[in-house]
Amino acid sequence: MTGQRSAWLLIAPLLLVLLLSFVVPLVLLLPTSFQEYQPGQGMVAGSFTWENYLRIATDGYYREVVLRTLALGLGVTVLCLLTGYPVAYLIVRGHPRWRLPLTLLVIFPLMLNLVVRSFGWIVLLTNRGVVNNLLIDLGLIERPLKLMFNMTGLLIGLTHIYLPFMVLMLVAALQNVPRDVEAAAATLGSSRTHVFWSVTLPLTAPGIIGGSILVFVLTISALVTPRMLGGPTYQVMATLIYDEYMQLLDWPSGSALSFALAASTLVIIWISSRMTKRWAGMA
Amino acid sequence: MSDMKPTLPISIVALLVVAFLQVPVLVVVLTSFSETSYLTIPPQGWTLKWFAEVLSDPVYLRAIRNSLILAVSSTLLSLVLGVAAAYALFRKAIPGAEAITALLMAPLIVPSVVIGVAMLQYVTLVGLRGSFLVLIVAHVVITVPYILRSALASLSGLDVSVEEAARVLGADGFTAFRLVTLPLIKPGLVAGALFAFVTSMENVPVTIFLASARQTTLPILIFSSVEMGVNPGVAAISTLLIVATVIVLLLAERWTGFHKFV
Repeated sequence: MTGQRSAWLLIAPLLLVLLLSFVVPLVLLLPTSFQEYQPGQGMVAGSFTWENYLRIATDGYYREVVLRTLALGLGVTVLCLLTGYPVAYLIVRGHPRWRLPLTLLVIFPLMLNLVVRSFGWIVLLTNRGVVNNLLIDLGLIERPLKLMFNMTGLLIGLTHIYLPFMVLMLVAALQNVPRDVEAAAATLGSSRTHVFWSVTLPLTAPGIIGGSILVFVLTISALVTPRMLGGPTYQVMATLIYDEYMQLLDWPSGSALSFALAASTLVIIWISSRMTKRWAGMA
Repeated sequence: MSDMKPTLPISIVALLVVAFLQVPVLVVVLTSFSETSYLTIPPQGWTLKWFAEVLSDPVYLRAIRNSLILAVSSTLLSLVLGVAAAYALFRKAIPGAEAITALLMAPLIVPSVVIGVAMLQYVTLVGLRGSFLVLIVAHVVITVPYILRSALASLSGLDVSVEEAARVLGADGFTAFRLVTLPLIKPGLVAGALFAFVTSMENVPVTIFLASARQTTLPILIFSSVEMGVNPGVAAISTLLIVATVIVLLLAERWTGFHKFV
């Protein structure tokens, strides 16, 4: 049939672009991660070593950065879930007239340039920033709190950046909850709170899991916000990769860290998709 | 009767969270009008001098131009390549369509910084470092999943018989697509293109590894100037971006009911 040939013609240009400028570059990065690096001389041609990967697990500094990145991912995910659920609930179950304005207010930060949003948090959180000035003026503190270049700043900033994703996933999940199941539970004598914890919340589990995975993966791969709010000293995996390529020029080590980061996101997404499939099979 | 409406405390918490989402935006806008050379709230006096300063700075102007050229060309290229591919995948004439879709969506899953370093090594290897075309292609890679996703979603909601009717009435394949299918999937494509454009406009992790000094884009410029310290010029250019975003979002909402596509 001619259908098949024309279909291949339609898809070939994009496939070619993806192969040449996405797949091939990634494949070529792999050998780099097994090469030896001599400071001042660069990569040692023809060398092979596991050292770049071993270092991530054994070296104290690398291990600290990896653990910090994972802790950050976990913290941001929990914060997004706790703050996002009420918003999604209000959007879906609140007055219909509020629905559109609230949705637009959630989407708006998402569409706004990431660099601008992070810059906003710098203005708020620096030593002589808006938050500290306000607290000092109110007499609540005497000396500025350290809100940047540490976990606090990154948690606040990244929660703000990824919260819209969580809200949108939860909105979709809440819309799929059949109202008559809740009504049935209520008719059978359940209190509001009990209906929520035993019916509504479990039924939105797919959205909770989906949103959490998304936020976690985005957080551990984030470069811009961690660098802008954490500076060059408070490193996470993505900022360390950036420095190894741009400052230290240690490409083997940077590429090993890149594969470690990419592998962790892929594994997390793979496990979660298996989990959801199993759940769907059980229901 | 419990109708599961949000209680007052829940509503208040939710509204506070929505307000929290807007705080950095308001702060940036307010500080950009302050007369002081440091950032402060409430602003000390009102002035437009930071806007004038930024808009007459050739470095900023070139970065704005670079960003716009890059975003427009990569979005258009993504649109053409992505819609063609989605159309082919949708008709399912291709064996392994599912695997191909997964490959085309993969740039969303692989961390951008990893795509960035992989492309840096690759273009250094093939000797194309510093080429603007490389930058455009890199942006196609990271924006095309958005086009593809919205095109596939729009196509799947389509009644195939409408296009077949056009074919029966004598239209060739391309004419039937252009006159029948394309107008029907247009709202979805506009939303996808908007996402692609925004993604290209704000990208740092891929661009920063590939752009030469002359090719610096606006987000890269803001990103690196913040490392030197914050100043009201950055607040002014940020305010301009905020205003542009509000306008584009409201227009998109009017034209396509944008929030349905997010």
